[in-house]
Amino acid sequence: MARTVSKTETFVGYGVILVLLIITGGLLLKQSRFNSSILEPGALKQELLSQPTPPLAPVRDLRQYAPKDLTPLSPAESFGPENLSDKIDGKAELYLSAGFVSLTSQRFALEDKPSEWMEAFIYHMGSPRGSYSVYSMQKRSEARDLELGDYGYETENALYFVHGPYYLEIVSSVAQETMAESMLSFARNFLSKTPVESNVLNELDLFPKKNLNSESISLLPSNGFGFEQFDSIFTAQYMVGDTEVTAFLSRRKSQDEATSLVEAYTSFLLTFGGTELKSTLDIPGAKLVEIMDTYELVFSRGSFLAGVHGAENRKAAEEIALMLNQSLAEKSR
Amino acid sequence: MNQREQQPTSNRRDFLFRLLKGTIFIGAACSLSYWLYDPTGPGIAKKQNRLVTLPDFSMAGLKDKMSIVTGSDRAKTINRGLEALGGIETFVKEGDRVLLKVNAAFATPPILSATTNPQLVAELARLCYKAGASTVVVTDNPINDPTSCFSLTGIQDRAQSAGAKVLLPRDGFFQPTTVSDGRLIRNWPILWEPFKKIDKVIGVAPVKDHHRSGASMTMKNWYGLLGGRRNIFHQDIHTIIKELAVMVKPTLVVLDGTTTMMTNGPTGGSLGDLKETATMIVSTDQVAADSFGATLLGKTPAELPYIGKAEAAGVGTADYESLNPIRIDST
Repeated sequence: MARTVSKTETFVGYGVILVLLIITGGLLLKQSRFNSSILEPGALKQELLSQPTPPLAPVRDLRQYAPKDLTPLSPAESFGPENLSDKIDGKAELYLSAGFVSLTSQRFALEDKPSEWMEAFIYHMGSPRGSYSVYSMQKRSEARDLELGDYGYETENALYFVHGPYYLEIVSSVAQETMAESMLSFARNFLSKTPVESNVLNELDLFPKKNLNSESISLLPSNGFGFEQFDSIFTAQYMVGDTEVTAFLSRRKSQDEATSLVEAYTSFLLTFGGTELKSTLDIPGAKLVEIMDTYELVFSRGSFLAGVHGAENRKAAEEIALMLNQSLAEKSR
Repeated sequence: MNQREQQPTSNRRDFLFRLLKGTIFIGAACSLSYWLYDPTGPGIAKKQNRLVTLPDFSMAGLKDKMSIVTGSDRAKTINRGLEALGGIETFVKEGDRVLLKVNAAFATPPILSATTNPQLVAELARLCYKAGASTVVVTDNPINDPTSCFSLTGIQDRAQSAGAKVLLPRDGFFQPTTVSDGRLIRNWPILWEPFKKIDKVIGVAPVKDHHRSGASMTMKNWYGLLGGRRNIFHQDIHTIIKELAVMVKPTLVVLDGTTTMMTNGPTGGSLGDLKETATMIVSTDQVAADSFGATLLGKTPAELPYIGKAEAAGVGTADYESLNPIRIDST
């Protein structure tokens, strides 16, 4: 005789079926929103990478700076740190390490000669130090100085200058006089319409003038000489006889920081195979290290860190270090 | 009452009926599961089916050829360079479909030498047709807007005037690829469509300084085949260049050192960044071509780590002299 089912068993049975239905519903819901990255590690990255990066900087129309003989050849474009390399590829790192904020660029052609055109690049570097840094790292050696903004110069087909936190490049498709004049007008219009605070970098005057190649002064924004802790390092080239010597200095936050950086840099050099030599220089705390047949000399003076980098000749390195120490003693008070 | 008496009674027929029902239910559940089972799983295998691999475009027996021609007239130097290797006919046969991979990365004018020289592109296209090519395709995936790049560099006009077809990249042109033993190029989109039905590939690049890699020449030129947010590879630039060199096995590379961008690369901007080095290199070995190109930049191949990496990966030789390059003065 068949067994009869009790009410309790019936309710338990319905309960189990209900739970199974809920689980089924949950699975179907999750499957409908399936995330392939769970099974394919690279998929999420690909998905994110395929999304266009929105420009971080507002597009500013550069037509306001263009003289009458220039007509826009393309719309203005803006780039932020996330997509700067979309415009300048591998050179983006140079700007990013110096505090890059935004780039706006636009092309203009001569109204009566559309085949002749120029492109203006306005880099906002966040500070005068940032703009000076990228300017100094790229300065062309065969250039003519110009009374244009700060440190302005021109080459056969281009203008370069600094204006407060801005670094400008205006590059022409032709080396031609009419275009050069239009580019100059553009630059002057930018200067007159863009007020900035004065741009004084005191460090430039601290390098002793004797044997200095004044065109060579550069500002390394970070990772100076491959040492992570060396940021905001000014460098300058000197000639001692036939030997070229690189001097450097950097204003630190305190005397303690400058002193500790001397020790840290010396340790860094010793770690990479350097040998510390006894310095006979009359500079308290100066460290001299020979590494890969070159000499590194580093010392502090007040809150300044200073020294000589990669000199092939010890005597030349010491001579420049003494001059630099003397200059800091006289000018940094 | 004992325990046995408390249990419900069941006859044989009822037991067999229940057994049959249970078997049918289990069988049905198994059949349904089998029917629904997806052995490939979601995502992985289906996408792997779409992975593409660039064919080997190199020619057997012609893997170690190199010529170095001095002269400033590109049309003349490329002709002399190819003649030294047996002529363009050695590489391009009747009916071949040829792809010229140019460097059109930036929307800059030709005088800045940041991109492949348009006159050189036109001359190569003309030579390919002269050798009997049925089609010559010119392509690149530039950094800047492709239309502006091909137009303002002058490449589009000159290539088309020589009868070549310029293919600008579009979304549908990209397919993922994975480089064998590659660490970076894994399931990464590359410019694929222009390579379909292509028989021969010629890379044509200028010699340039490059802020990240030290130099941009024939191997770096393949960077323009990458899609996606490829700038992330700048963090490991030497490895990505090596993997690109492994990925592309060209028929020939042409390294244009007529004017070399010595400083401020890869964009340059000033004529002051350029130096007339008056040299054209034609080679079937891209590592050897770049090794010689390094000397035009005043560097040694050892100063460009990607050259050593590519050599170690078996792409070619950094010792270009071992190829006994044919040197010609065309001036």
